[in-house]
Amino acid sequence: MMRIATVIVLTLLIIPFVQASSESSWTQEFESGYISTKPLIVEDSVYVRISGFWTGEERPFVAAFELETGNEIWRYASQTSLQHDMTPLLYIEKGVGTCGEWDDLLLVGWADGKITAHSPVNGSIIWQNQTEVDVIGISGKMGFEADRLIVPTRTGLSTFCLADGTELLDIDTGNIGWRNGVTITEEGYVFGDESGYLHEVDRNGIVSSTFLGEGKIRHAPLDTRHGLFVHLQTSGGSTMYLNGSIIGNAGHSPAIPIFYGDRIYAATSDEWISILCDEQGCAIDSTESFQSNGELALHIVDSEVELWAPSNTPSGGWGVFNQTSLIRMETTMFDTYGTAAPGFGNDVVALGNDAGILFVTHQFTTESPTKTSDTDVIGTIHYVSILVLFVLTCFSFAHQDWRQMARLGSTFLLVLALVVVPELSLKLAEKTSSEGEAEWNDSWPEEWKGTQIILFEIDGEEHVIGGLESQDTVYELTLVACEALDITAEIEQQYLGAYLVSFNGSVGDGWEFTINGKWIPVGMTEAQLDEASIVEWRPV
Amino acid sequence: MLSAIGTHGPTVSPVAMMLLNATFFFVAVWLLVKPQYKAETWLWPLFIFVGIAAGARIAMSFIPNVMPVTIMAVMVGSKFGAQRGIAFAILVTLASNAILGHGWWSLFQIIGWASVAVVASMVRVHDAEGRLSLNQLAFASLWSVPIFSIIVSFSIIDSGMSLIEFGLYLANGLLYDMLHFLGNIFFAMWFGQWFERLLMMNQVQHRLVQQENEHVSTF
Repeated sequence: MMRIATVIVLTLLIIPFVQASSESSWTQEFESGYISTKPLIVEDSVYVRISGFWTGEERPFVAAFELETGNEIWRYASQTSLQHDMTPLLYIEKGVGTCGEWDDLLLVGWADGKITAHSPVNGSIIWQNQTEVDVIGISGKMGFEADRLIVPTRTGLSTFCLADGTELLDIDTGNIGWRNGVTITEEGYVFGDESGYLHEVDRNGIVSSTFLGEGKIRHAPLDTRHGLFVHLQTSGGSTMYLNGSIIGNAGHSPAIPIFYGDRIYAATSDEWISILCDEQGCAIDSTESFQSNGELALHIVDSEVELWAPSNTPSGGWGVFNQTSLIRMETTMFDTYGTAAPGFGNDVVALGNDAGILFVTHQFTTESPTKTSDTDVIGTIHYVSILVLFVLTCFSFAHQDWRQMARLGSTFLLVLALVVVPELSLKLAEKTSSEGEAEWNDSWPEEWKGTQIILFEIDGEEHVIGGLESQDTVYELTLVACEALDITAEIEQQYLGAYLVSFNGSVGDGWEFTINGKWIPVGMTEAQLDEASIVEWRPV
Repeated sequence: MLSAIGTHGPTVSPVAMMLLNATFFFVAVWLLVKPQYKAETWLWPLFIFVGIAAGARIAMSFIPNVMPVTIMAVMVGSKFGAQRGIAFAILVTLASNAILGHGWWSLFQIIGWASVAVVASMVRVHDAEGRLSLNQLAFASLWSVPIFSIIVSFSIIDSGMSLIEFGLYLANGLLYDMLHFLGNIFFAMWFGQWFERLLMMNQVQHRLVQQENEHVSTF
């Protein structure tokens, strides 16, 4: 009985490190596509959009669900948007302005450059318009002021009348943008681009552009009292700018930062960052080891700040931070990679992830933020147990009870290793995979130099493309390239991770990839790319 | 090591997988029915062992590389010999992978655990009188890990992989091998004697009856 009890206790101790789960009110599992943007909770409805790369019959859509039951109210699918739709949904209440009157609107920006304004009640299109497209259309966060919708387009910025969708302003900056969200300031509209320029547009359409640095601005700049904050994605990681001056460097693939009170919250593949802005300026106040690369969300509970960050890792979940540190992880039984921020309603939270699962629950918000969650309790017990096991092992050693020492010591080492090994192993794999020389082929176009290039050898024939939008992982680049080259990729999600089954139906004896000519000992979803990687997919 | 890296070899079609599994199953049955020189009563203890090992592997699948299968393969191999040990490895892998997922790796897992059992049948963790030596079992916790891990890692080898790359792959899995070893030690220390009693469940009764018979015969 003692042994059985030991295993049960040990399992309980291990569970929080592997996965802590919580109950859901309801879930919706979409068969294909990702949930890459925050689900919106408005009154009794939840609105969510599905993004992805679309090659077959399936297409991206926006859908509305009843908040309590999860019953689908309506669904609108775009037949023409084939790239990732990364623009967050925007809900605007009815109003009236100089260009007319409008009812409640759900505004959707599409990767094919379209803007569609829907009735939140039944999804019908109230109006629609088109913006500039350069391979991709709209991908950044939109904004609104008074009677106009402000849309960061692929090539600049457009504004539209909320009443009928008439275009009021169309700015072309000459550069392209990706996830180039717009911020509305007293002076006008601010947004960045893929070349490191910050564009400020006044309400008359006059543009002034400032070069910030070599890199990509993939979020709406934050308007602080000390000037604009930008987290620039660079080839070596990321750099944080305040009013044009560098305030710090951080890891790769920065998340979309948010500003609340006197703090800016940011994240990268390596860390979560809290930046404190005082009278003199803004400076990094604290960091926590964490990987988050998409949206962040703010949740105020009883005047306490909670910052939710999706963990973009195979185990997924959401890190919940206070102003300076991680206070807990929130997880579901469906967790995997995620970049979408949670959507919050009145005592309800809606969570979406890369598996296309929408999870709506009352569970998380029923507890006071000051009350320790179940996960915290188990986690604390776990750490206390490690300490107790260590003490007991020492105690057995002191009493020369070798048998007991062997038992307790092995338990102590096992529990400790389970905490340390997974993270350590991933770090080691990343270190060993970062070496290698690029194998440039002289027949490739010069403009591909310094960009990500991917090659597929299918049935003896090579298909290659470069100059694509920079991606973080082999998995993401493969999807983008397959779309561009019209290659059908069959990918299965297995318990070992995403598994490439076939290209254009060719299964063979399996497929393997290299990065810069080097074989990489991690799966494609974990294999990180830099801005000039050359990926090769070849049959085994 | 395989699950540590998240990389795996070629896809096996469902039909090929079914044929492979069926073949393994018949091999296991053949190994079980084939006469063996050892006299121990093994049938029920072995089946119970298979059930426990497969159930534990499934139940603990969320913990990477920690499972009692390896240490149980050592004990079966040492107690009942290589033949039953191989059968044990096949049955546990087939049963647990029915839930966890079959694939190219199943073949290597079977070979891995079977090899551990075969080596245990030679190295032995039981003394000459058949008593379990916990020290030997602790040592087996260590040597069984590289045997299993290296064999399972062969599943990802292909014509394009150099020795250095394979070495790098193995090196990346060392931390998980350490986890495997610590798991083995944990099960050996806590459950070694209990497993041993299970393996001897029929033997004890058999010996008692034999002793009683001897007593009666001399009366």
